[in-house]
Amino acid sequence: MSVLRAMDKIMTCAEFQEKLPELFESQADLGAQEHLKGCENCAALVRDLEYIASQARLLLPIHDPSPAVWDHIQKAIREGDAPDAKSAAPGRE
Amino acid sequence: MAVERFVLMNPGPSQPRPANQHLRRNPPIAGEQEAIQRAQNGDSRAFETLYSMHKRRVYSLCLRMLGNVAEAEDLTQEAFLQLYRKIGTFRGDSAFSTWLHRLAVNVVLMHLRRKGLPQVSLEETLEPAQDDGPRKDIGARDLTLSGSIDRVTLERAIENLPPGYRLVFVLHDVEGYEHNEIAEMLDCSIGNSKSQLHKARMKLRDLLRTGQRKEQIA
Repeated sequence: MSVLRAMDKIMTCAEFQEKLPELFESQADLGAQEHLKGCENCAALVRDLEYIASQARLLLPIHDPSPAVWDHIQKAIREGDAPDAKSAAPGRE
Repeated sequence: MAVERFVLMNPGPSQPRPANQHLRRNPPIAGEQEAIQRAQNGDSRAFETLYSMHKRRVYSLCLRMLGNVAEAEDLTQEAFLQLYRKIGTFRGDSAFSTWLHRLAVNVVLMHLRRKGLPQVSLEETLEPAQDDGPRKDIGARDLTLSGSIDRVTLERAIENLPPGYRLVFVLHDVEGYEHNEIAEMLDCSIGNSKSQLHKARMKLRDLLRTGQRKEQIA
């Protein structure tokens, strides 16, 4: 067993959870973490966090602005008061 | 000054992304290219077409980032007015929806900074108060969420995140931005963006579990 594995096995919940952001970002196989094999609490935490991230990816843009928004845009364009966009628009490609 | 750096921010060249990520964020829209060209030539009907194509995505982004309908509508309006003024500078080197989306994000972030609320100043946005943060989940064996959250519940929980967490969570997990892009947008380190995302997910878990417990009691 490697030193890392040995360290992993004796990792406490606090130590494991401290490492979690790094583990998620590394896209490591979390199921292979020794700590999770013996800790149902941390395993549940990992499952939940993965589930939340996966559900968030499925959220679609479902909200529509009220028709008044387009009316206001048209009015502003007609009146020539569209804001100077230089500060917020993405830069010239 | 951080705010000025943000205001003058230029997204720069696009970062390489996985193919599915690109498609998820920029699904092809029939007729969009023609509408862009016509709008660039001053065709107001074409601009209306672009509005119809993208209003839902821009508004949903604003609403999720702000959690407030009136503000989200105001900023949707502002984003499209900025689009109207700047569409001539779009040359098609990146997907139009990516370009417009970044414009909308910029509009929202500038609005948050203009408001000058403590929780959306740069430091507070990225470092919410400790009391507001997630806690370690040690020894709290409890129900798990898997398979139990519907879209409405998740949307509501996102609305209830502290603003700093919400921004990073929406940009990364919902909108699909990478940490390097978020760090550039928010003028923070990549490590900070990663840390905030993790805290946001932990906080969401807390919120969702609390909601489940309340439902069970009721």
